Amino acid sequence: MLGGYISDLEKGDVFKPVEYVITPFMCSEYAHGCEEQSEYFHSAHNSAGRQIRPPTMIHVDKMRILEANCTKEQRVSGMKGPDARIHFEYHAKHHSPAYVGEKIVVSGHIVDKYMKRGRPYLHYYLEVKTSDGRLVTTYNDLTVLRYKQEGVA
Amino acid sequence: MSKPVYKVGDEIRGPVRGITTTRIEWYDSAMLSAATNELRQVGSNIHTDEAFAKSEGFSGVNADGMIMTNWCSEMLVKAFGIHYLERGSLRNKYIKPTNLGVELHVRGRIKEAATGPKGGTLYTLDVWCEDQKGTKLVDGDATVEVV
Repeated sequence: MLGGYISDLEKGDVFKPVEYVITPFMCSEYAHGCEEQSEYFHSAHNSAGRQIRPPTMIHVDKMRILEANCTKEQRVSGMKGPDARIHFEYHAKHHSPAYVGEKIVVSGHIVDKYMKRGRPYLHYYLEVKTSDGRLVTTYNDLTVLRYKQEGVA
Repeated sequence: MSKPVYKVGDEIRGPVRGITTTRIEWYDSAMLSAATNELRQVGSNIHTDEAFAKSEGFSGVNADGMIMTNWCSEMLVKAFGIHYLERGSLRNKYIKPTNLGVELHVRGRIKEAATGPKGGTLYTLDVWCEDQKGTKLVDGDATVEVV
């Protein structure tokens, strides 16, 4: 169910897409925060001649789309849900780089939701395209919605 | 950068870094800043707040998995340059919590080299992060087609 907590999401839920224009600050600050020094992400002074969005920023896009679709648990705004979530699997495929100044559209849906060893798992699929339709990233993500195991003290 | 060439079995090495509260805060704050396009500072969560992490079943604060994924990505950018950004993939599984104080080693090994869909060399790699004792904390794989 959209509009609630992240743990309310169900298999088949389709996110309302989000779109934004990539700024130099977003790319550089993100790269700086994880000590990535490649000039690709900090300026246009690289072999591509343009500043590139770090491909791992797909995870930021996940946070953006959750913020827009799970309004009771807007983590970016500082809200917390009933349980802490943990990331279990990241799987990004790069189809083309996205550059500073481009508008990108993030869409996606919930592929599956299941219990494993007393913990609830959520499988997301996200896709990033430029506003003119060029595919940038496809992404599968597995998140554990509650680390504490059910039935374990 | 000249075209990178590897053979099966070649190892690539990423950074060796300690997991510190400062690094955890750098990443979490940067993620919020990138999501909002303004400078932000992370608040309380399982990565920054010991009491909260324990209340959620962890032994203490632990690093956000995306820190290790970004360090794996850094290794691939260094090894393959634009080829990784244009035609790469990265998969990471966070198989154990990465706790404060761990000395993290980021590593990769070429598993396969074949002809790719664009006619270049498609490399498949094992990618992983281990602690100072060699215990694997993050497992995964990557592909890059060099054309």
